[in-house]
Amino acid sequence: MKMFASSSRSAQTPILLVCLGLLTALVGATAGLTVGRVAMVTLISLVFVIGQSTFTGNSGVMSFGHVAFMAIGAYTTAYLTIPVPLKGVLFAELPHSLRFLAHVHAPFIPAVLLSGLAALVLGLVTAPVVARLSGLQSGIATLALLVVVYNVLNSWTAVTRGSSSMIGIPRNTTTWLAFAFVVAAVIVSWAYKKSRSGLQLQASREDYWAAVASGVAVGRHRAVAWILSAFLCGVSGSLYAGFLMSFNVNAFFLSATFAFTVMIVIGGYLSLSGAVVGAVAVSVLQEFLRRLQDGEFTGGSALPAGLADLLLAAVLLIVLIKAPLGLMGVRELRLPGRRRSQRAEAAKGAAGAEGEVRAPV
Amino acid sequence: MGTATARRPSVLRMAGGGVHFDGLKAVDDVSIEVRSGQVVGLIGPNGSGKTTTLNLLSGMLRASAGTIRLDDVDLTSMSMRKRVRLGVVRTFQSGRVFARLTVLENVEAAALGSGLGRRRARALAAGIIDELGLRPDADRRAESLTAGRIRITAIARALACRPRFLLLDEPAAGQNESEAVSLIRSIRGFAQDRDCGVLLVEHDMAVVMQTCDHLHVLDSGRTVAEGAPADVRRDPRVIEIYFGKRH
Ligand SMILES: Nc1ncnc2c1ncn2[C@@H]1O[C@H](COP(=O)(O)OP(=O)(O)OP(=O)(O)O)[C@@H](O)[C@H]1O
Ligand SMILES: [Mg+2]
Repeated sequence: MKMFASSSRSAQTPILLVCLGLLTALVGATAGLTVGRVAMVTLISLVFVIGQSTFTGNSGVMSFGHVAFMAIGAYTTAYLTIPVPLKGVLFAELPHSLRFLAHVHAPFIPAVLLSGLAALVLGLVTAPVVARLSGLQSGIATLALLVVVYNVLNSWTAVTRGSSSMIGIPRNTTTWLAFAFVVAAVIVSWAYKKSRSGLQLQASREDYWAAVASGVAVGRHRAVAWILSAFLCGVSGSLYAGFLMSFNVNAFFLSATFAFTVMIVIGGYLSLSGAVVGAVAVSVLQEFLRRLQDGEFTGGSALPAGLADLLLAAVLLIVLIKAPLGLMGVRELRLPGRRRSQRAEAAKGAAGAEGEVRAPV
Repeated sequence: MGTATARRPSVLRMAGGGVHFDGLKAVDDVSIEVRSGQVVGLIGPNGSGKTTTLNLLSGMLRASAGTIRLDDVDLTSMSMRKRVRLGVVRTFQSGRVFARLTVLENVEAAALGSGLGRRRARALAAGIIDELGLRPDADRRAESLTAGRIRITAIARALACRPRFLLLDEPAAGQNESEAVSLIRSIRGFAQDRDCGVLLVEHDMAVVMQTCDHLHVLDSGRTVAEGAPADVRRDPRVIEIYFGKRH
């Protein structure tokens, strides 16, 4: 009946999100080297923000630690795909118990999935803590996870090469492969959002105690979402490694965390569409600002360094002031429809934070 | 819903329950009992400890004195979630719906929380939404409803937890006259059809008189009277609390 209309129409959102990814991939596949690179990084970022949003969007708990999962994914892929002879040279000082790592090898797609699994294991280990914390505490705890993982990767030189770069990773990440993982990530994340666990987790996001009073095992659902999001972020790290061919531990620390946080916050950290729209919008904006700074629009004379970052920060501030819940709020992308209730709601919420910005479709 | 399977009548009982906040005895040596199928009114002036009593029974607060039992099961130190699973379900004085979920999702989340599978949760939620007349609002976000409808959504959510005991904190607040009347009628219905025990916190004496089988009056955290509504109404201490202090 009419009552369930919203669920039958809900496939709209993942399809629209995949279309945004497709657009990005098409641009990447047809444009030149520079734009192609930007598009590739955008696709990989999409997998990441979709992964993080699987946790933050449904739980309402912010995380600054997901880049740690990305790092685990990237390092796992390095180990699984660098040719064995080269590994013998790069990792000559592996501790005895880890010697086998110099000989393992996997084709790329299994390597991507194994990288996701490695991140998932870290998610599994940290889930009991995350399940118990909210608000500021979990902000700090997730940041601590990032710092711990960074420090381990930076100090355990025999295994991770410390602050030296990981090199010799074959380039396996193609635009279309990255796109395929975007599609998979959208499907997984959307399916979770619509699952029993996802709905109960969203209930706890809206009111923790009312959810507990409805029998919801909040901690358990938080843990499920956390582990799932760890896997997806691990996958994005793997794709990143297979694209860069060489990387340094610093790629997975504060500046990456900040960049992804900006995407998620601008788009709207409570919705999957918010993460996707934010990632695409911020990527486009960053590229535009970079060109602006390089003087592309001012007749070749470069503008002061740092201007691009400054403008990005300004955009972030404006969005946060105008729409504290980001461009999408808690909404998901939909085609403009004749949904009476939605419209009535929009009229009613116009004074509120989310009513301000229309879905860009 | 109200399958006529005669469950063994149950009793939810707090004996000598108490809790204090920094020296303030919010609830002090209160003994209260609800049987399945019965509507017990819990009344008293502002700050007399009604909500705190509900918090103790539901497990949101731990009692610092006394025991809480559901038949033979000791609930005293059991978590709120486990009590919900045993059928002790409460609503909140301030509604506390899941604001940005739809009404249907609100009710469905609770049905899932109480342990049902997806399909049965959907069916149960749809049935309760129909029963409480929420169907026109089913696909709207809870935050967009009127205060009265928000209350009803909160009650629908509590019913979705399949309560054996329903603890309602001022459910009629924010309702208009006709909403309140039909709500009161439904509350009696819950008790009869579901064989559910109801503990009803309510300010309005008229409402309480026509709804409850038994009344329990609190003042400053202590029981001042209890018994059949007609008797309680004649109790001099209740008259003083309810009518004396006003002038
Ligand atoms: N968490 C708390 N911390 C400190 N004091 C509290 C707390 N909860 C309740 N109190 C105090 O305990 C007393 C009883 O409060 P309670 O909310 O149970 O009253 P009530 O009967 O529900 O009142 P009302 O009719 O206004 O809802 C009040 O004096 C209140 O200020
Ligand atoms: Mg109260």
